[in-house]
Amino acid sequence: MAEPTKETRKLEKIRILGELERGLDDVDKVLATGKTDIELDFSACTFISVDGLEWLEEFLLRADSLKSSVKFVNVQSPVYKVFKVAHIDSLMRACGSPTQDAQGLVC
Amino acid sequence: MTVSSEQELMLTQRANHLVRQARLAAAVFTQYSQEKVDKIVRAMTAAAIENAGKLALMAHQETRMGVTEDKILKNLVASEFLYHQIKDKRSVGVTREFPDLNMVEVAEPMGVIFALAPVTNPTSTVIFKSICCAKTRNTVIFSAHLMAAESSNYAAKIMYEAALAAGAPKGFITWVDKSSRLRRTSELLMSHPEVDLIFATGGTQMVKAAYSSGKPALGVGPGNTPVYVHKSANVLSAAMDIIISKTFDNGTECPSEQTLVIDREVSEQLLNEFKRLGCHLCTQEEVEKVSDLIIDSRSGGINYKLVGQPANLIADQAGLNITQPIKMLLCPLNGELRHHKLAIEKLMPVLGYVIVDSVNEGINKALDINYAGGTGHTAGIFCEDDDVIERFSDAINAGRIIVNSPASIGGLGGVYNHLNTTLSFGCGTGGGNITTDNVGIKNLINFKRVPRRRNYVISFQTTKNIYINPGSIDHLKSLKCQSAFIITSRSASRRGHLAQVTERLPQDCHVDVFSDMGPEPDFAMIQRVVAAMRHSQPDTVIALGGGSVLDAAKIVRLFYDYPELKISEIAVNFLDFHHRMIEFPKDMKTQLVAIPTTSGTGSEVTPFAVLKDGHRKISLIDECLLPDVAIIDAHLTRSLPPDITGDTAFDALTHALEALVSTFSSDYTDGLALEALRLIFESLPETLKNPNNVLYRHKLHNAATLAGMAIGNASVGVNHALAHALGARFDIPHGRANGAFLLSTIEYNAQIPSKFVSIPCYPLWVADRKYARAAQFIGLTVEPIEGETEEAKGLRLVHKLRQAVYDLAKLAKQPLSIAELGIPLETYMAAIPELTEIAFSDMSIRTNPRYTLAPEVAQLFANAYAPRERP
Repeated sequence: MAEPTKETRKLEKIRILGELERGLDDVDKVLATGKTDIELDFSACTFISVDGLEWLEEFLLRADSLKSSVKFVNVQSPVYKVFKVAHIDSLMRACGSPTQDAQGLVC
Repeated sequence: MTVSSEQELMLTQRANHLVRQARLAAAVFTQYSQEKVDKIVRAMTAAAIENAGKLALMAHQETRMGVTEDKILKNLVASEFLYHQIKDKRSVGVTREFPDLNMVEVAEPMGVIFALAPVTNPTSTVIFKSICCAKTRNTVIFSAHLMAAESSNYAAKIMYEAALAAGAPKGFITWVDKSSRLRRTSELLMSHPEVDLIFATGGTQMVKAAYSSGKPALGVGPGNTPVYVHKSANVLSAAMDIIISKTFDNGTECPSEQTLVIDREVSEQLLNEFKRLGCHLCTQEEVEKVSDLIIDSRSGGINYKLVGQPANLIADQAGLNITQPIKMLLCPLNGELRHHKLAIEKLMPVLGYVIVDSVNEGINKALDINYAGGTGHTAGIFCEDDDVIERFSDAINAGRIIVNSPASIGGLGGVYNHLNTTLSFGCGTGGGNITTDNVGIKNLINFKRVPRRRNYVISFQTTKNIYINPGSIDHLKSLKCQSAFIITSRSASRRGHLAQVTERLPQDCHVDVFSDMGPEPDFAMIQRVVAAMRHSQPDTVIALGGGSVLDAAKIVRLFYDYPELKISEIAVNFLDFHHRMIEFPKDMKTQLVAIPTTSGTGSEVTPFAVLKDGHRKISLIDECLLPDVAIIDAHLTRSLPPDITGDTAFDALTHALEALVSTFSSDYTDGLALEALRLIFESLPETLKNPNNVLYRHKLHNAATLAGMAIGNASVGVNHALAHALGARFDIPHGRANGAFLLSTIEYNAQIPSKFVSIPCYPLWVADRKYARAAQFIGLTVEPIEGETEEAKGLRLVHKLRQAVYDLAKLAKQPLSIAELGIPLETYMAAIPELTEIAFSDMSIRTNPRYTLAPEVAQLFANAYAPRERP
């Protein structure tokens, strides 16, 4: 199957609600179609666990291999701080932030 | 790939995995609330208490060190006692508030902590550090001593499972598995870029490695605890405490006693009590045998195989013939203590002792032990004499000096005293550590200080009794004084003012006069007058004259009342009045009455006094310089010639303008400054037209005093700095010197500054608006222009103000440039570097609304030379 061109791809906006304790199957399914770019809206995300972080990192890896673009938007400060302290480059890129390369500290 | 490189890769991957778990957990932990954290801490503490016995037994079985029962106690201290101390402490969000300082502290976790656990305390250290990390939202990776890894790691597992069940982040506690590669893995972790802090408790080498890793480290150094038993001590109690302490876990606690220093007066009683309670006092021959056994002859250090072993085992191995059970071996350390083999840390129930004949000798011997490998760690004293305890504490370099208690359990904190409970004893720089604390939760938090802007308090002070209106000199008739000393100038005497004063003083008042005060006196003149006053012994000083006389009288009174003062010490500049280093006397003994005969300086109501010092002017500033009484009688100014009337009026005008825009200005000083301006613009032209008109003289006289009150509280600005330097260098009267710069400095201060002044009481630069307001207050207006901004309109008003100043100066024949002062251009230009330096260090400049840079000062000087056109 041919890859969808930029014109045919659609943008799927998904809100993360409440505590992100583990992977979200619905979001995985959207990604699995391979035809969408995804915008994860964190405005209603109140907490993120270690499993949640690991899922996000893996999700971004899968998206990358499917050539889907994933953006994190409306990340609230407590969660954004989690991303900052976690030192995971892909999460920072998804937020549109500089990575930690300058410090040379990457998990 | 070779086997060793394969192993290295595997170890690196293992280290990375541990750190990644800890890193993610640390990130997640940042979201936890205090309540959530406290719930986790509580669950961990309960698990530690529940498993205290099991873990102690396991540690003893694995290490073959110490005493199981004592290890249980250590586990309980590390959990129950620690919990008691920290349970109510805030470690999330705002941890402390400082209302008086308008500041709070906010906690920030340190992140990933790599923690070492020693063989001597393998489980209690893990319990302690785990709970501390949970409380502070840090994550921890443990590396145990190889000889104690099973028990240490099991303790870590118990702590982790309890924490996880209570909601801690996954991976919050991890540990390096026991293996022959444990040490190498620890080295990798120690230098891992994702580890934020190393928390090292262990052998000297490990602690050294931690500090050498290039990371922030909390390491604890070795101990060598001296304990002084003073003759005032409760000897029997001391003996029991020392036995409790030195035998605790068979001496594995590093704060425990290593050498006793005993006053001869109580030595026999103490040693007998040790013997009675089951300790063995070694003979000299036995000391040699014990030394040979427990000291490694090659390194001079301790034989680690005997750490934490029972006294009887040590005695047997040393070849001592002891059949009964003993608690510990006491070894007299005869000969030169500093070179004695046993004068080191002995982590076993072997205790050295020396006998001394004085407190001085006792402290010195204790210092010998203290500085023999235990600097900064722990010391002890048994003593009932507070002075001796203080002397001992002052001399000994130890993070904890335990008084009348067992040093080891006392050092742990929380049991015998209120020290923080710890298993990590900071030794300060003496031990190569960063802290002398009983290391605990406060050492595991990055404290963020959040200072709010200071509430800057500005006070308002002026002369308490001010008598105004023409004829107010009559107040002298009712002046309470028995002996007055009048300081005045020849001109005041010539103009009849002196007679007006002396005639009005009470008849029974003895009067002496110094009438030779010249313009701008120096300190030699002040000393002359003070010497004259010493003969006269007055209770009142009356200053009669212009600004120089009044200023001089303030300083004369100060040195008359306080002859021990030194002018060089009180004339020190300051940045902020609230923080200045010098202190003036609080109360003056002699009354000062100020009677101005010119309408200019306002010195009668200011806390300033200016003195000439060569080519400089020095300013004294303090409330104590304020006169007690001011008499503002315009009759005394009627005979002032027009040039002096103009000069002094321009001094007052400069005061009003500079006080208005000063960084220390306030609503109080603004009102005074504006009214002074209005009075000057109204009354100076009239006074110059009709010098004998007392009504306008009176208004001008009041204007000078009001402007004086304004500068007395708001101070002046760059104009005065320039004028002081110019006046001192070229002998220009102060008012004239001020006028020469006035148009330049208004223009300069009304421009957006190249640099703003950093002072909390000046939150907004408003000099341009204040000048505009002054223009409006004296009745100047500008035609409205449609669409013009307020700022542009303001600048037009400032322009109007400068025009008004120019016009007034022309009317008063006041020079508005240096050229008009008769100073040759070349001479002046050559002097600018020196003038700039002097002006730049002048106190006046500190309150200018524009941060005045040195090149700008030089430019202001240069620009002031050429004669001026009307703005």
